[in-house]
Amino acid sequence: MGKRLLSVIVVGLLLTGVGAGCSAKKKKGAEGEPGAGAGAGVGEEGLGAGGSLDRYKSGTLGAGGEQGPLQDVRFPFDSSELDDAARSILQDNGNWLKDHSNAKVELEGHTDERGTVEYNLALGAKRARSAKDYLVALGVSADRMSTISYGEELPICQEHDESCWQTNRRVHFVVSGD
Amino acid sequence: MARIWWPMVVVLGTLAVVPQAGYAQVKVPIFGPGARSYPVAVSPLKSVSGTSDVGSRFADIVAADLTLAGYFKVVDRAAYIEQPDTSGHTAESINFDSWSVIGALALVKGTATVQGDDLTVEARLFDVYQRRQLTGRRYHGAVGDVRRMANKFADEIMAQFTGERGPFDSRIAFVSTRDGRFKELYAMSLDGGDLRQLTHNQTINVSPAWTADAGALYFTSYQRRNPDVYKIELFSGRESVFSQRPGLNIAARPSPDGQAVAVTVEDEGNADIVLLNPAGKLVRRLTDSWGIDVSPSWSPDGRQLAFCSNRTGSPQIYVMNIDGGAARRVTFAGTYNTSPAWSPKGDRIAYVSRSEGRFNIFTVTTDGSDPRQVTQDMGNNEDPSWAPDGRYLVFSSSRAGGKKLFVADATGTSQVQLTRGGGDDTSPAWSRWLE
Repeated sequence: MGKRLLSVIVVGLLLTGVGAGCSAKKKKGAEGEPGAGAGAGVGEEGLGAGGSLDRYKSGTLGAGGEQGPLQDVRFPFDSSELDDAARSILQDNGNWLKDHSNAKVELEGHTDERGTVEYNLALGAKRARSAKDYLVALGVSADRMSTISYGEELPICQEHDESCWQTNRRVHFVVSGD
Repeated sequence: MARIWWPMVVVLGTLAVVPQAGYAQVKVPIFGPGARSYPVAVSPLKSVSGTSDVGSRFADIVAADLTLAGYFKVVDRAAYIEQPDTSGHTAESINFDSWSVIGALALVKGTATVQGDDLTVEARLFDVYQRRQLTGRRYHGAVGDVRRMANKFADEIMAQFTGERGPFDSRIAFVSTRDGRFKELYAMSLDGGDLRQLTHNQTINVSPAWTADAGALYFTSYQRRNPDVYKIELFSGRESVFSQRPGLNIAARPSPDGQAVAVTVEDEGNADIVLLNPAGKLVRRLTDSWGIDVSPSWSPDGRQLAFCSNRTGSPQIYVMNIDGGAARRVTFAGTYNTSPAWSPKGDRIAYVSRSEGRFNIFTVTTDGSDPRQVTQDMGNNEDPSWAPDGRYLVFSSSRAGGKKLFVADATGTSQVQLTRGGGDDTSPAWSRWLE
């Protein structure tokens, strides 16, 4: 498949305040050079209040208002494959991104609570990547998008039933710079 | 006064043991984990000098350990006729009839000497029926070290009765929401005491794994937004970044010799396992499948890794050589097998299997034969981690409501709840023996 280890593209994000700190840090980390670099000191603003981690930290995750201009994509249990409904949503999201060419987006991969924490973190990464690859195929530039997995750690629905699990098995889109 | 985390306990020597002492003759028809049949009395230690409750604390901890072991039934202390401060603590001076009449087949007695902050404990195990000492140990340390002394003596009792050292002089690290909604890292002693909160970063912390010397933990934290691997030293509390590659940095597992760490990282959305050196530099990549490869677990000789992969379409357990070569699959039943944990004895791999919507702990031999179910019909059971003696497993279970930690022997016959209270306790990691 020609994969190269850790060849994640971060270049585009370095140009924005969005994720600049963490992206710069990540790139530094990949080179084994911790510490300050381009973008250091900017990253504390991060992704603002829109990201699920920020909402979790402030205690507002699942309280409503998570949804930005882009709709969540959902997945079956233990799957990162995009079904018709998911592709349809990604079409809409792709169109919106093409119409808002200054917007950057972080794709958060999530799973439901069932199963193993580590496997679910890996599954969340795969879901985020599936959605990103599809948007790239639709013509959205890869350097406008970043991905992160939260696995089962950040559910927006707290009941232990299929209705909630379905809601939680998602790729969530956090838009900034619009 | 600052107290170090891991009290130094000096075993000064084995006390006199009668020449024919060997393993105890079992006097009850069933002796095994889960039988809970072998009646042991654990007397508070006699206070030789100083006024302190260490003598009864020692007995409390030994009793808690023996209850966890599953082999024993600890005789209720209220029934004891001989009182520690008015009776002897050697085979010659103990009134064994007063112990056999309350049903005890084995007896723990001894002395505690407190001088300032100094504590010396002499503990002895007796066969009540044969009226002889089976073993004795003298421990010296600080008063606060009584817990480790008790855990060490419980390990010695296990050695006497089963031929193998017990698992109690060790620690369990875990993730908990007991102090709020954030997943923080904790460690505790096996009797549930000496609980310490290790992280206070108010974010997501997951996947703790001990170094082989039980002196530090690797774990994944979102404290700098990305899931990066950190290492925390237990003596100093010093925390450092270990791996912060782009994307996932999870499931860090140090090798038995401490010379390498297997970590799951992300390559364009796909989780793969890499080998890092102790400085966090890449040694080499270990997996390169199209599927998820995650959750490595070292064989005790450090030559192989068990791991979870969905390369055939569903998550299954595989084993590979560290030096390369094809991975071989060891689980075949079901479509969801995760969380491998290689036993320190080397013979079996514990894992989680999903069946009919439930998650349960299983073990399987390293060649994939003889799968055995450890938990069943009691909630969801996940995150197995082996005791240092390879006879017990700690895991999280939802059987009591929220997720709590339980300890079971490898057959599942004995299953004892380890943690209680509010919040969820998950991802337990059982250390090797403390040294």
